[in-house]
Amino acid sequence: MAEIKQDFKMQELHRPSAFEGVLWTTMGIRDGITVFHAPPGCYINQHVNALVNDWSAEMYSTNLSYGDVMQGAEKQLESVLRKVIARGPKAIFIVTAPSVEVTHDDVEGVAQNVGFKDTVIIRPPIGGTAGEGKDAAFRALLDLMDPAPQKQPRSINIIGPTYSTFNWRADVFELSRMLAGIGVEVNCVLSAGATVQELKQAPRAALNVCIYPYDCGVATAMEMQKRFGIPYMADIIPIGFANSAGWLEKIADFFGIDARPYLQKTIANCFEFICANMVFAVTFEMTAALSLENNNTYAVGISEFLAQEAGVQVLMCSVSSAAAAQRLSASCGEILISPTIEQKRDAFVQSAAMVIYGNFYDKKVSMDEGFKNFIFADIPTIGYLNTENRPFMGFMGAKYLVESLVNEVYMGIFLETKGEMMGPISTGAVPWDEAAQQAMIKIAEMMPHFVRATATKKLHQVAEQYAKERNTTVTLAIIQEVADKFTPTKFKAQFSSVFDDVPQVGSVQTEDEEVPIESLNFSMPWEDEAKKMLEFVPSPFRQEAVSGTEQYAREHSSAAVTVTLMEEFRKELGM
Amino acid sequence: MPLKCYEHVCSTMMALTNLGKIEGVIPLLHGPQPCSYQNQVGSMSCRPAQLVTAGTLVNKSEVIFGGEANLKHQVKNLYEKYHPKIIVIINTCVPQLIGEDIAGVIAELRQEIPGLKVTSCNTGFNFPRSMPLGGDAAWVALLETFEKKEKVPGSIGIIGSHGQEAGNLASLEVLLKKAGLPCFMFPMPHIDSMTDIVQAETIYPIQMTPYLTCKCLEETFGARTCYIEVPVGMEGTSRFFRGIADRQKSQKLHDLVDEEERRVRPEFEKIKSRFAKQHVRMLLVTGMANEVSIGKILAEFGAEVFIVPCMKNQFYQQEKKIMQERHGVTFIEEEFETLGDLINEIKPTAVQVEFHAQVETAPRLIPTMINMLYLLEYGYDYALDLGTNFFKNLHQPVYDNWSALLNKYGVQPWLR
Repeated sequence: MAEIKQDFKMQELHRPSAFEGVLWTTMGIRDGITVFHAPPGCYINQHVNALVNDWSAEMYSTNLSYGDVMQGAEKQLESVLRKVIARGPKAIFIVTAPSVEVTHDDVEGVAQNVGFKDTVIIRPPIGGTAGEGKDAAFRALLDLMDPAPQKQPRSINIIGPTYSTFNWRADVFELSRMLAGIGVEVNCVLSAGATVQELKQAPRAALNVCIYPYDCGVATAMEMQKRFGIPYMADIIPIGFANSAGWLEKIADFFGIDARPYLQKTIANCFEFICANMVFAVTFEMTAALSLENNNTYAVGISEFLAQEAGVQVLMCSVSSAAAAQRLSASCGEILISPTIEQKRDAFVQSAAMVIYGNFYDKKVSMDEGFKNFIFADIPTIGYLNTENRPFMGFMGAKYLVESLVNEVYMGIFLETKGEMMGPISTGAVPWDEAAQQAMIKIAEMMPHFVRATATKKLHQVAEQYAKERNTTVTLAIIQEVADKFTPTKFKAQFSSVFDDVPQVGSVQTEDEEVPIESLNFSMPWEDEAKKMLEFVPSPFRQEAVSGTEQYAREHSSAAVTVTLMEEFRKELGM
Repeated sequence: MPLKCYEHVCSTMMALTNLGKIEGVIPLLHGPQPCSYQNQVGSMSCRPAQLVTAGTLVNKSEVIFGGEANLKHQVKNLYEKYHPKIIVIINTCVPQLIGEDIAGVIAELRQEIPGLKVTSCNTGFNFPRSMPLGGDAAWVALLETFEKKEKVPGSIGIIGSHGQEAGNLASLEVLLKKAGLPCFMFPMPHIDSMTDIVQAETIYPIQMTPYLTCKCLEETFGARTCYIEVPVGMEGTSRFFRGIADRQKSQKLHDLVDEEERRVRPEFEKIKSRFAKQHVRMLLVTGMANEVSIGKILAEFGAEVFIVPCMKNQFYQQEKKIMQERHGVTFIEEEFETLGDLINEIKPTAVQVEFHAQVETAPRLIPTMINMLYLLEYGYDYALDLGTNFFKNLHQPVYDNWSALLNKYGVQPWLR
């Protein structure tokens, strides 16, 4: 038995596959029936987990046993198809399970034999992603479509929403509302909530719009352009005020509509909201971490919106697509691509963000690390109700993103950092060591302004109480203990740097102290121009930058550090 | 060939959740990505803190060329990372289909890492009409790693069915201990204490599920299995304890049961009179075998009970006979296309089903209990609580209000 040579990550938190992608796409079609040609275990799991996100998800199954699969399950499939036809579906979608893909049943032959006209067969590849599965299903649906219908003026198709896409109902609702505002109609949504008739008439639309371009839909739109001559738009993600306006404006331009009156009114309304006391005062103090590996489009859209229009610092973002990661490098700090659970946990703690956007696993992992402020923005959820009420896309979506951030996080941090309601205001005069005072000042500087006063008061109070109990002054050790025990995790990682520095109080290297490039330790040859680039690195981090870059060079089999290599390294770091 | 399946979960998930509740054991799911994703997500709500699901993510090339090397490497990774006492390979449909040599992998690993205990169980489509048996198969996999120990004279073993019961069987254990009977519970929350079950002379299963477990304890460890009945409700619990008391010759246990019956009888009578006034026609469909036990409790209260059982093994046959003779319960063993069809036929006033059946029961406005919320159902007090709160928990007035609203505006619920 051959041993695998390369090391590989522990596969502990799993992502949906092409099978989920296909099933979520077909289950969302209201009057079609999905038949999952699968053992009952596959069927139950897929059905239960789809119902967690979409309450009306329904499908049937051939419920295959081991013997059925081994001997070929064509008869079972035929029997189920005939029963399903008796229920009067407008279309039947047959999706094969992994075990059937191994034995490769003649599904096409069975379907032909049964002879139901609108039957679509989709065989997801083992090892494909959810996005690939969705595109495979969308493309299969094209076969249902009427190739030459009468065109519907000012109408578009929205490509991308499927069942189990986080928040699709609300996003489609809001985008449809916006489009109606400029007189454009949604002809068909591929595929969530669509009827078979709407799908058949999808080629009536004048334009296809992909709203999850970093996840799925673009390949389908290209195919529709080829087959039906419908142009498509996939370059603007309608998340945030500016991008929503840009998205709508581009569609309006396509149809020759003057969207300015609508946009003027809407943007004025949005700006009024943004001017609210509680918006910039809070968001400018905020830091966020995004972990949206099952919705790369949200990752890009939300990061850009938070950073560019709300002033939130996006410290890290975890995605599963290289293209999304590339685009994110402009708007956020650390970028992870499909990390392991440990890598993600470390990134949460190191980034110490005030709010985390993610899925159920992220919530659990972040809770374990003491993070309390969390906003669901991705699947899996294991139980989460999404209605039309809370879009992330469009103008209402941008408002909701700010609203949820402020309401969830501001109050959370405020309460977390506040002392007890009945606690003493002062324990009396307790002397403070100088190092302790300095540390306290640094800690205070790291807190957002809106909680600084209450939080430092609490730390003061507890530190003095400890000193009193121990009959000492307030020492650096006490401050460290208090900071460790009584502050939210999101600040702890930042605080730790205070205590790394403080023991050398007096000789602390501040950012103002220049560290000459010549004084740094180099363990391999550097181009002069590459060395010069180190001048852009703040002094305290220069030696670390040298070590990191040299490590990167070794990993990439480079004998020397060149400007090109440094540029590549910077890009990988998202700088 | 029915159109749907209303069982609790895949047998793979039963194995995963059972093993995931035992400290010292790590399950490794050997299967493709959708299998890992679905079983992980689906099991989140019933697992303790441990979220991780180690999986091999069998891909297309492994389907063609074999995934044993990947599997072996992943077992080593798991061992190095967590140092569990036992790793259980849950062998799912696809690797079974391609004929993976799991025994060979385990033999090699045992040679390479002497301190490592690895075992396996086959799940997936091996149990297409009785998914809870995936959990039973997982218990057997664990038993295969246990070593023989001296029997404790006069001792008994209480054999539960699923991981939720580990450390949660006090309703039965307390009385047995008060009676002074040496007693071993199975499962237990830690693998070390779980291995003590091999010391029991006589084992008493408390559910229909652990048939394979009992068989393994008999054949490998020389225990004697005695199926009395599922100890739920007043009569079922009393008869279970009295059956043990007779076999173990414990008058003390008989006395304790007398005492318990005196304590709970007045409340039981009140519940029965409530059920006599308000007729309940209850349909219970394929849970984790608790469709039978909850049905038994409700039937004792006086409900008219229809049960679609999740398995038909030997223990079930015994339980079915008891319930038919004692309470006139109807068992539905014939296949039906959809639950909707069955509801139309039986016209129940309330149903107990799995989560995914709600898509059919909710639009029909039938009060619905979810199987997985009614576990650890053993003993007197559980039945008292269920009976006392039964009508309140059905929330019939809410359904009535919705019915009125729909009627008023002429809305037809959407049924596919």
